[in-house]
Formats: sequence, structure tokens, C-alpha cells
Amino acid sequence: MTACVRGAVLKMIKRTTLVDSRTSVTDVKFAPKHMGLMLTTCSADGVVRIYEAPDVMNLSQWSLQHEISCKLSCSCISWNPSSSRTHSPMIAVGSDDNVNVGGKVQIYEYNENTRKYGKAETLATVTDPVHDIAFAPNLGRSFHVLAVATKDVRIFKLLPLRKELSSSSGPTKFEIQTVAQFENHNSQVWRVSWNITSTLLASSGDDGCVRLWKANYMDNWKCTGILKGDGSPVNGTSNQIFNSPLGSANQTIQNSLNGASAGRYFFPPLDPPRAGSRWSSYAQLLPPPTLIEQTCDADSVNSQLPHPRRRYTTQPENEWV
Amino acid sequence: MSGSKPDILWSPHHVDRYVICDSELSLYRIESVGNSEAKAGALRLSEETTATLLAINSDTPYMKCVAWYPKHEPECLLAVGQANGRIVLTSLGQSHNSKCKDLMGKEFVPKHARQCNTLAWNPVDSNWLAAGLDKHRADFSVLIWDISSKFTPEASVTLDKIRLSAGDTDAGLVVTKPLYELGQNDACLSLCWLPRDQKLLLAGMHRNLAIFDLRNTSQKMFVNTKAIQGVTVDPHFHDRVASFFEGQVAIWDLRKFEKPVLTLTEQPKPLTKVAWCPTRTGLLATLTRDSNIIRLYDMQHTPTPIGDETEPTIIERNVQPCENHIASFAWHPSSQNRMVVVTPNRSMTDFTVFERISLAWSSTGSLMWACGRHLYECTEERNASSVEKDISTKMRQRAQSRYGHDTEQVWRNYLLAGDDDPQLKSLWLFFPIPASLMKQYTEDLEQKPLVNKLPLVYSGIKNIVKSSSGTVESWCCWNGSDRQANVIRYHSDERCLALQLCGWIKRGPEIDVEPFLQSLEVEREWERAAAVALFNLDIRRAIQILNKGASAEKGDLNLNVVAMALSGYTDEKNSLWREMCSSLRLQLNNPHLCVMFAFLTSEPGSYDGVLYESSMAVRDRVAFACMFLSDSQLPRYIEKLASEMKEAGNLEGILLTGLTKDGVDLMESYVDRTGDVQTASFCMLKGSPGEVVKDSRVQCWIENYRNLLDAWRFWHKRAEFDIHRSKLDPSSKPLAQVFVSCNFCGKSISYSCSAMPHQGRGFSQYGVSGSPTKSKVTSCPGCRKPLPRCALCLMNMGTPVSSCPGAGKSDEKVDLSKDKKLAQLNNWFTWCHNCRHGGHTGHMLSWFRDHTECPVSACTCKCMQLDTTGNLVPLDSV
Repeated sequence: MTACVRGAVLKMIKRTTLVDSRTSVTDVKFAPKHMGLMLTTCSADGVVRIYEAPDVMNLSQWSLQHEISCKLSCSCISWNPSSSRTHSPMIAVGSDDNVNVGGKVQIYEYNENTRKYGKAETLATVTDPVHDIAFAPNLGRSFHVLAVATKDVRIFKLLPLRKELSSSSGPTKFEIQTVAQFENHNSQVWRVSWNITSTLLASSGDDGCVRLWKANYMDNWKCTGILKGDGSPVNGTSNQIFNSPLGSANQTIQNSLNGASAGRYFFPPLDPPRAGSRWSSYAQLLPPPTLIEQTCDADSVNSQLPHPRRRYTTQPENEWV
Repeated sequence: MSGSKPDILWSPHHVDRYVICDSELSLYRIESVGNSEAKAGALRLSEETTATLLAINSDTPYMKCVAWYPKHEPECLLAVGQANGRIVLTSLGQSHNSKCKDLMGKEFVPKHARQCNTLAWNPVDSNWLAAGLDKHRADFSVLIWDISSKFTPEASVTLDKIRLSAGDTDAGLVVTKPLYELGQNDACLSLCWLPRDQKLLLAGMHRNLAIFDLRNTSQKMFVNTKAIQGVTVDPHFHDRVASFFEGQVAIWDLRKFEKPVLTLTEQPKPLTKVAWCPTRTGLLATLTRDSNIIRLYDMQHTPTPIGDETEPTIIERNVQPCENHIASFAWHPSSQNRMVVVTPNRSMTDFTVFERISLAWSSTGSLMWACGRHLYECTEERNASSVEKDISTKMRQRAQSRYGHDTEQVWRNYLLAGDDDPQLKSLWLFFPIPASLMKQYTEDLEQKPLVNKLPLVYSGIKNIVKSSSGTVESWCCWNGSDRQANVIRYHSDERCLALQLCGWIKRGPEIDVEPFLQSLEVEREWERAAAVALFNLDIRRAIQILNKGASAEKGDLNLNVVAMALSGYTDEKNSLWREMCSSLRLQLNNPHLCVMFAFLTSEPGSYDGVLYESSMAVRDRVAFACMFLSDSQLPRYIEKLASEMKEAGNLEGILLTGLTKDGVDLMESYVDRTGDVQTASFCMLKGSPGEVVKDSRVQCWIENYRNLLDAWRFWHKRAEFDIHRSKLDPSSKPLAQVFVSCNFCGKSISYSCSAMPHQGRGFSQYGVSGSPTKSKVTSCPGCRKPLPRCALCLMNMGTPVSSCPGAGKSDEKVDLSKDKKLAQLNNWFTWCHNCRHGGHTGHMLSWFRDHTECPVSACTCKCMQLDTTGNLVPLDSV
């Protein structure tokens, strides 16, 4: 297996195989950097396993540190990336189980005293199968934000209650607020992903669209962009964009929206201008690797056609330098 | 295809054509909307595509099954299997090809009439057409016809049979002798040719699946099963076959034909169609009767015949292309995952099954996703207005413009903060003031007894007014007149300090706002200047400012009118002026003009109209409060305002809270709201040395900001930030983590140096200081053994680079010496953690610019490639 980073071809070497799971492993995530080199897996039989590589120079040794039994078939996991000392390590586990009724998102927290992960919360309002889950980068905030991809996109806010209120040794209690719930995909949502400051959320669903969500300063989440997965334009989105100015309470924004400068959105030169999203998808990178030869042949008809939006443009990496 | 229920067939060679067959055959062409705008008769298939009816063929009654000729020429040639077992070749379209004309209308008639269930053209030898028929006593049920066969020989042999099958006027076109006859005493329900070999035919017989080999027709390979309907070969994996029975799909591996490798979960209703996706491996679409859902099975791992224990990964997915029940569907032969579905009443939908799109954000704010076999990247519009820009973009741009780094000219941050955020601007307006105050106070430390108030400057006005004592009340006069104004003004040292912090007055005992007014005039803030002048009881100056403003703004009528209104001021309680002003002032758009009249019409001691005008800057309101609120009112007001600011996370409130715990609370809600750890970090660092920097929240913001800089690969900026931080907060300086220790005595050479103070500090004498007079230390100060040699210049470490010739190219040396900082680093120790070879940093850097291997001969360590991040370059400038 090879990977290409900035022109240099790197050879990927298999270092180890983790064989503990008896059923399908459904998600793998590295723990946040400050916790050391740790790896988490979850599997269809409902077990979350946390491995640790004690020596980063020796990746063939991974020791199984924790096994958490979630009782529900797991589909996805997400670490809370907060590095604050006041927040204990925390994992959210989503389940695609469609047999049991009840909350499909569980939150486990590390307890310093017992040195074990214990269940801190269950999001009871999420009862449909969960496909993806993502903690937002904390960035020094006093609360945690969790995005859940189920039959819709949901954003939860977890406000840790003060330790005095909960028992000091038990798990942290949270006040859980549903900040947003969007059914715009009109279908199952498969993936959610946060940007580095957790101010933008991207989601993708069975409708083949990528949607971008952003909150204004009032913590009202709105759709700020719809992009078709294949890069083709989305019809009838221009109104939606203009009707959802960020921070409608702010007078200056209204002005700028009415003004000429912000009222028009352009795509980079290669693309025909299209009103609609502030976001543009313009680069189709890397000709598809030949994963399967037959399929690539089938696609060759398409890729040879000159397509205005399917040209590769190098993005200036160091624009501001 | 039972007459009423339409089926759909995609043209094997024209990607835009398909045939719907029910009682007749209709050829459609599919087009994108852009090409066929408002074309009459075009049927809408989806948002982007329409279909146009090109041809209808109703020549063949009793159709049971249809198969499309697989070769390019003749195009649109179809074989139709009929209820009586006859197979008719027919065409859609006006092909003038002579070969086609010969074939058209040709009929292939079995010995005994029975229903034709299925047809399959051989994909390689396209003259061969296989037909699957119902059982008729001991007759054969699989017949393979050669469509090019001449009819004459057959005609002579089976002339009588032709007569039996009467009704054909053109008997010359009837063929009755098949090429092969297979499947005796059985029924055939489905057929497909195996791509492995052109002579292999897979047939779903009555109770078994059979593979017929035409090279040896006496033998067949078969397996008993019920799943005999709809056999179809995976186009991407030729050994994989799907077939179904009732609601269950069986997947077979032809290499291990004894039993199905997989049986898919049973569906409640009987299946009607199963089809492999031609553009993607392992994707099987299934349709059940009376359903509007197509269920897809995504087989992500090819099941292997060996090793039963491997659990195949199958993802089930339901898609609903349309509201109505679906009669049939067909995959598009080349468009990725695209299909057209048709309902019993012939309405059609063009539909694409989207792959699950996986997403990831880059740290620099672009989003990448994978759709099908393509990767897409999407970035925020570069010219988006600053209000709409995401905070991550803003922070990144600010970091690049050295936001926060300038310790001397803190006001520069005011410019760097951008135009869109008044709060941020006011924060950076505030910060230079205490700094300059601090400086001034330190300067005249002897004369001023105010030293004890020095720490107060960063503790916020809230604490300053709390400590206020010795307030002097005075009834003030309007400036330039003897008229007694109806207001009481309060003075004290603390209030004076607060006014200074608000920026109204400069340092000094007397309250002189004139410089402030002038600066406001320069910035063309006429209304604000007028309000400040008025609050300082100088109506004349206020009117003058307004006049000036009116003329500067090209006769702004508003300002003139206000000036006129001001000049009519009277302190008569019941005057018409007062009455009108109090009612009309609310219609003024500008908050400053509004508060001016609020001030003039208010009763002494109650200035709510001014104090709670939220669109006026906090510092103006606070300064106003410091002048006109009594000792009992003032702390209450400030307290209230501060908690409001704290609640809202409004940075203007830092003026009130200062860099205290309250300030951290305020900043916390600002960070919660915006995520702007950058401003929070720089702002709180200003509070050091003090307790605030020790606050875990502040430490957390600083750590997060450093991580952000690292993630953006702004490594220089991060280093600068660390330096900046350690200057302000010495406790944050990290301890040395790497020591150079002597090979012989094992002591850290820097440690032993610092133990001997007369030898200087740290590494400075190891050629680093660059001072020519200093003796170069090339041996361990502990044991006097020589230090290791540089692998390139072979000199002992400690020798400065400049003194060793020929290490790098001459132009390089000039280049390096230009940058003094880098030149110092050039003398440093560098070594590979893997092979332990090393030398002067400068030499190593120039060596690895051209080489990948270690400079030591016979050492094959690829030192620079060991670390994958070694190839990354910082994205910021030094």
C-alpha cells in the first residue's frame, strides 16, 4: 500500500494486527494527542476497545487497556478532543441498532479513581440508528458540542455541571441541550465532520449532497451551503442562502448582504459563475487510483470528457506567506 | 414481463437510450435538461434529465422477454420471446444496414409451443441467442439459436413443422433447427452466458442451477437449489453469480458451486428483479413486488471460496427513487450508480444512488470529500465579506499578520483585528492605555503618591470605583457662561483614573477632554465628539463640533439641525423645548445625538437615558457614569453593566472587569460564543504577572491556541508566541528537555558549564556566541575529553561552522551568514536519533538538501525520511 504526500510516495508498512474483536469492527479512532498514542475500536457486538502503544517508536506493540461493553451494536465512536485538565477523557459511542428502543448515543467518561471508563450519559432523544458521531474541537470552551448523524443531523451541547452538584467521585453530570436538528437531507445522514474551530459542520447524506452548517453568535444554526456530492450545481439554493444571513440581528450584516460586494458569489475562474453557495467546490484532486481496474475502465468514458468543473487546479497553499 | 407490467432495458451501446417494454416496445432517449429546453413531448425524469420517445414497435404480440443485441451493428436489434415459444428478431429505428434487414422479422420456432421465459445473447459470439422455455414432456428447454443461419437447409428438413406453425406468410424467415438443444425434460427460467468462456451457459432450471458447456453438451454441472430465478453474473467478478427465489437472494461462487456463498436476508415480498451495478463492484440492487424501495446490497469483501469463517461485510441500504410502486429498473451502463426506474403506469424516474460521502475538514478550512471515485475539495470563498468569514479563517489571517505579537505597539492589534468587530477593536483600544499609564507612573514614581493604585490599572474600573474615597461633589457651570448647570459632578482620584482608562482624558489632575475631542474630530466621529463635549458641559464646543462636522460631511443637514436644537437649550422645566426634545430625541438614529438630548432633558442624578443606551460604546457610558453618578449609584451601575457584559461575552466589558477573575469569566463566555482563543490568549497574557494567567481556563486557551498554530503549520508564529509568552509569564518557560551529554563522563555539557559561572552561560561558548575573543570549547568541561566530531567537516563540535571550509557551497554560506539567527543555530549539535550520527546543524541541513542518506560512509540510515513530518514545511514566514 502506498500513499502520496506532497509528491513524495510513502510506503505504508503494516505494523500490527489487532485481533481481539470477534465481530466486524465498525469504527477506529485515535485518541486525542495529549492522551498519548491510543487507538479505539468499536465492533458490532457492542464492545469498545482502547489500545495503547506505550512506545511510539515500536508500533508493533499495542496493549489492550480497556474494554467497554456498550450492550448495543456499535457503529461509530468519537473522542472528546478537549485537552483541558478539567475535562476527563470522554468517548461518545453511537449505535446502529434498530431492535431496541432507547438512546443510541452513549457517552463514557474515564474515572480517575476507579481507572475505568463509566457511562456518563445516554442521549435519550436519539432513538434511530446512528451512523456517525463527532465531538467538536473544544477550543477552550466550557462545554462540549456533539454532532450526530442519524436520520437527521443533530447538534447537542453538553454543559458539565459543577462538581459540587454531582457527587465528586461519580461521573460528570451534564446538562444536555439539543441545539439544532436538521432534516434537510430528507434521508439518512452518513457523515458529520467539524472544522478546526468547531464553527462549521459538514454533513453528507443519502441524497448525495454535502451540507454545511454554521451558527451565528446567537447560537442559531443555519445551513450555509449545499453542494452536490459530484460537484454539480444545486438548483434553487440561491434563495436559501440569501434568506439565511448569519446573525440576522446584526445590522451590519444586513447591510453587507444588500451591498454589491457580498451579494454575489463567484466560483473560481475555472468554473462558470453560479449563484448559490458561498462555498465552491472546484478542485477535483488526484485522478482516481486504480482500486478496481474494471470500474476505472467503465469510468474512463466520463473522465475523458472535458468537464468544466472537473479540472484539477492547484490551490495556492501558502497564499498569505 | 406479463404484458401489463413494463420492463426496462438499457441500450448496450448508446448510453442515452433505453427501451420500455410492456405490450409494445418504446425507445426513449435521455437528455439533460439544458439540451432540450421546452422540447415538446419530453418527459421529465429528474431535475436534470428528460426523456424523449423516439420510436414505438408494436409488431410483436404476446411478448414474454426481450434481449438487446450486444454488438454495435446492427443497432437497436432486439430479440423478443413470445408466449408460444417463438423468438422474433425486431428492431427499433430506421437502420438501413443490409445485415439488419436480413435479420429483421426472422423467427425461431421450437418444436413444441410453450412459453419462452428468458433470452440471452452470447456476448462474444453474438450470433448465438439462448432461449429458456417451459417444460414440454421430454423436450429440450434450453435452445441456442444461430441467428445468421440460413433458413434454406432447415426449411427442407422441417418443412412439415413450418406448416404446423402456420400463419407465417414469409416462411423463408422461419428457423426451426436450433444450434444446440439442452436441458431435456426440464424447464428453464433464467439464463446467462458466463464471461469466463463463451461456450459456458448458466441456466436456472426447474429445481437446479446448471452450467452447460457447449463444447461437451452431454455433460452439465449442476447444483440443486430453489434459487433459480434471475441468474446474473457480477460484471466485475466473473465467478460471482446472483439468483433468487421468492424473497431470498443467493450469491454463488462458480469456483465452489456446491452451495451459495451467501444468502441475503429474506425480504417479505417476492423479488422481481436483481441486478449487479455495472459501474461499481459488489453492489447488487434488488426489487420486490409492489414496493417503492430498491434495496441495495453492498458487498465490500469478495467472498472467497476458501475459509468459511470469514464473515462477509454486507451493507444493506434502501433507496426510494419515487413515490409509486416500481415495476422495474435498469442500471445505466456507464454513469456511476445511475438507474432509471419505471412504474406500472409507465412513469419513469432517473435516479442516482449516491455513495456514502465521507468528509474531512483540513486545518486550513477546506473541506474534502470522496464521492464515487472522485475527490472534491471545497474552500470558503476568498472574497467573502469579513462578517461572513469563519473565525478559523479570521484567526489564521490575523496570526499571519502578527496579530497580538507586537508588544510595544499594542494599538497595532486594533488595525489587525479587522473592520467588522467593534468589540475586538475596543478591546485593543483599551489595552494601550493601562500600559502607558503604568509606564508613566513608573517614570514619576517619586513625585506621585499614587503608587499604591498602580496595580489597579489592570484590575478594571469595577474595582477602581469600589475603592473610591474622598469624592468631591460640585455643582458645575456651563462652560463659558455663569449659568449654573443643573448637574452635580463628582471628582476623585479613582474616578479620574477611570476616565483615563476610558480614554477621555490624559494623565494629569485636571480634566481636560480637549485632546480627546480633537482626536475624535480627526476620526470624523462628530456625533460622539459633540456628546463628549456636552457631557463636559461645553455646549458651545459641542455646537462647534457639529457645525464642523456638517461642513466636513458636505452639509449634513442632520448635524446642523441638531446644532440648532442644542443652541436653543434652556433649563426651564416646563419649556416647549424640553417637551419636544424628550419626545423627538427617540427618533434620532444616531445614539450619540440621542443621548445628548437625553442628558439635557434629564433630572439631575437620573441619567438612565444615557446609561442604558446600549448602542453607545461602553467606555463612553462608563466615563459618563464616573462623572455624574454618586458614590452610591456608581458601583451599582458598574456592577450591573459588568455582569451584563459577562453574560454576553462582550469584550468591551474588559474595561470594567479588568484582567481579574471576572475578566476571565467574561472572556470565557466570549470564547464559548466565538471560539476566538487567539484574542483570549493574548489578552490574558497582558494580565501577567498575576493570578489570571494561572487560571486553568486561561492556560487551556493558550494551549489551544498553540495547537491551532501548530495545526496550521505556523511554527514560526508558535515559537514567537512561546517567546512572547515566556517574557510575560516566566513560569511558562518549559524546562530543557534535551541535553547534550558527554560520551565519556555522561554529564550534560551545558550543565557542567552553568555550574562554572566564569565560563559563561549554557551553550554560548560552544561557538554559538560568535565572539572571536572567547576561547572555543571543543572538549567536555567535565572530563576534558574532546567532543565528538561533525560527520561532515570532521572538526570537533564546538568549532564554529564559519571556520571550517568547504562544507557547503560558497553561495550558500553567504546566504546563511545573512541571517544571523540561523547562523547561530548552524553551530548547534544535531544528530539522528536512529543512527546517532550528526554534526553541525548548518552542515547537516545543507547535506540533506541534496541527500537522503546519512553523511557517514557505510551508514545507510535515511535520517531525514524517518520522520514523515520531516517533509513538511512551515506555512508561515519567519
